[in-house]
Amino acid sequence: MTDVAIRADRLTKRYGDTLAVVGVDLAIPRGQFFGLLGPNGAGKTSTIHMLSTLIRPTSGEACVAGYSVHTQKLAVRRSIGVVFQDPALDRTLSVAENLRFAGLLNDLSCSEIKRRSTELLELFGLSEKRDHPVASLSGGMRRTLDIARGVIHQPQILFLDEPTIGLDLPNRRAIWRYVTGLRARLGITVFLTTHYLEEAADCDEVAFLSSGRIVRSGHPRALIEQLGRYIVEVETDNPAELAEQFAPRLGAALIEVDCVQFRCNKEPAELVSLQGELAVSARAVRWRRPNLNDVFLWVNQTGTSQKRAA
Amino acid sequence: MIARPMIAVLEREVLKLLRQRGRLLSAMVRPMLWLLVIGAGLGAVQGKLGDLSYQAFLVPGVLGMTLLFGGMLAALSTVYDKESGVMRMLVIAPIEHYWIVLAKALGATLSALVQALMLLVLLGMLGYLSPQVSIPLLAVGLLGTALACASLGMLVAAWSRTLDNFATMMNLVIFPVFFLSGSLYPVQQLPSALRFVATLNPYTHGVDILKHAATAGPTVAFGADFDVGLDLAVVIGFSAAALAVAAARFSRDTANEPLVHRLARKQGD
Repeated sequence: MTDVAIRADRLTKRYGDTLAVVGVDLAIPRGQFFGLLGPNGAGKTSTIHMLSTLIRPTSGEACVAGYSVHTQKLAVRRSIGVVFQDPALDRTLSVAENLRFAGLLNDLSCSEIKRRSTELLELFGLSEKRDHPVASLSGGMRRTLDIARGVIHQPQILFLDEPTIGLDLPNRRAIWRYVTGLRARLGITVFLTTHYLEEAADCDEVAFLSSGRIVRSGHPRALIEQLGRYIVEVETDNPAELAEQFAPRLGAALIEVDCVQFRCNKEPAELVSLQGELAVSARAVRWRRPNLNDVFLWVNQTGTSQKRAA
Repeated sequence: MIARPMIAVLEREVLKLLRQRGRLLSAMVRPMLWLLVIGAGLGAVQGKLGDLSYQAFLVPGVLGMTLLFGGMLAALSTVYDKESGVMRMLVIAPIEHYWIVLAKALGATLSALVQALMLLVLLGMLGYLSPQVSIPLLAVGLLGTALACASLGMLVAAWSRTLDNFATMMNLVIFPVFFLSGSLYPVQQLPSALRFVATLNPYTHGVDILKHAATAGPTVAFGADFDVGLDLAVVIGFSAAALAVAAARFSRDTANEPLVHRLARKQGD
C-alpha cells in the first residue's frame, strides 16, 4: 500500500468539443482531507467520476488506493465510497434495507452488515429511523443516510460530491460533525467538492478548479495569506474610475457591480488614512481579513483575465 | 463474490413486489378477467376446440400472460432505477456492470414466477388445473417463459432513457407480443402471415411449453403447436441472446457516458 491515496497525472476528459477536465495533476496523501473547489461547470464532478471509474478519462492516468482507474476498476471501487450529488438510495426501502442492499452489493456478510448498520446509524443519529422508509426522511437525514451508505464497506477513500448542497445550516453542521467523526474513527481519506467555501477551510489542502484546470492549490490558510493581509471593499457609483485611480497604489482591483475590492498589505494605521481618501468618492468603505471566498473570487478573476489574454 | 450482490438485487425485487399490493392484485385480476370473461364469452360463440373447452385452452395462455406482464414490467423498472438512486448504488458497487443486467433479469424472472405461482394456486382452487398436468414440464415452462419475458424487458430497458415512453412500450411491445402468440388461439389455425409472426415470437414457444404441460395426459386435438424441444431451444436461445445484447449495450453506455454523470450534470456541474 502506497502512502498516496489518490494520484492523477494529466487527467483529461473531453465531451465532444467541450473539455471538461484538462491535465489535472493530483497527489493526495493517505488520511488527507482534500477539497476540490470551483464554480459550477468547472469539472469537479467529472473529476470525481473519473477517479471513481464511472467515466473513462479521455487521456491521462489516475491511481486510486494504488489501483489504476483504467485497468483495475473493481479494485478501485472496492476501496472507495462515493456520495453523489443526488442521493444513491432506494426511496421505497427502509433505512436498514438500504444499508443492507449497499452492504450486500459490497459483498459484506449479513452479520457484518447488521453490526456496521447499527454502529453507523448510532453515529449518525438515525437509530430511531431504522425501519422507516427513506421517502419519509427529511432532506438532511437522507443525505446523512447516503453518507452512511457510502461508508458501510469501510472504504479507504471517501468521495463527497457537494455533500451539503441544498441543506440548511444545522443539517450542514451535522453532516460535518459526522464526517469529522468518520475521519477520526477510520482515518479515512476524504475527497470533497463544495460550493460552500467556509466548509473547505478545515481541509488539509484545497485546489481551485476553473474551466477544467487547477489554477491554485495549497493549504487554505496559506492561500488566504498569499492573497494579502486585508481586503478593502469600496462601494461606489463609479467603480471602474475608482479602480483605475487607485490601481497604481493598490494594484489590480476586483469589481463586482458597484463594489471595488483591493488586496492590501498595509499596516492598519495606513488603512485609516487610505479610508479617508477612498471615502471621497465612495458610499461605503470597509476593510477586513480575507477568507477562502476571496481566494475563490480572485482566482477566478485571474482565470478569466488569463483566458481573455489568450 | 457475485452471490451477495445477486441476492441484494433479487431480495429487493421480491420485497418491492410484495409491498406493491396493487401490482399483485392487478397481476391476478388481469388473467382471471381473460379466463372467466373472454374465455366464457368466446367459448360460448365457438364451442369446443376439439375435446377441450376454450376456457381450458386458455389456462396456459393466461399463465403465460402473467409471466409476460410480470417479467416485462419488472425488467422495465430498470428504466425507473436509472432515474432514481438505485442505479447509482449499482454502478459504484465493485461488480462488473454486465452483472447489473443479469441480476435485474433474474430479479424480473423471480418476480414473474412469484406472480405465476400465486395465479396457479388461484387456478387450482377454482378447479382450472387438470390432474394430468405434468409438474416438471410446467416448472420448465414457467421458468423458461419468465426468463424469456424478463430478457425481452431488459433488451427494451437497455435502450430506453426515460419513463416517458412507458405507455408506448406497453402498446408497442407487450400487447403485440401477447396478441401475436399462441396464448389466445392455436397457432396452426392462424392465417399464414400471422402464423409466421407468431412462430418467430419466442413468447409463443414459452406458452407452448405450458400447453404441453397442461395437456400432457391424453392426446388433445388443439393443444400444443410445436415440438417441446424446439420450444425450449427457442426460449433459451432467445434469452441468452437478448441478455448478451442488453448487457453489452448497458456496459458500453455506462463506460462512455454513465447515467449518473448525465443526471449529475442536469444540476449544473
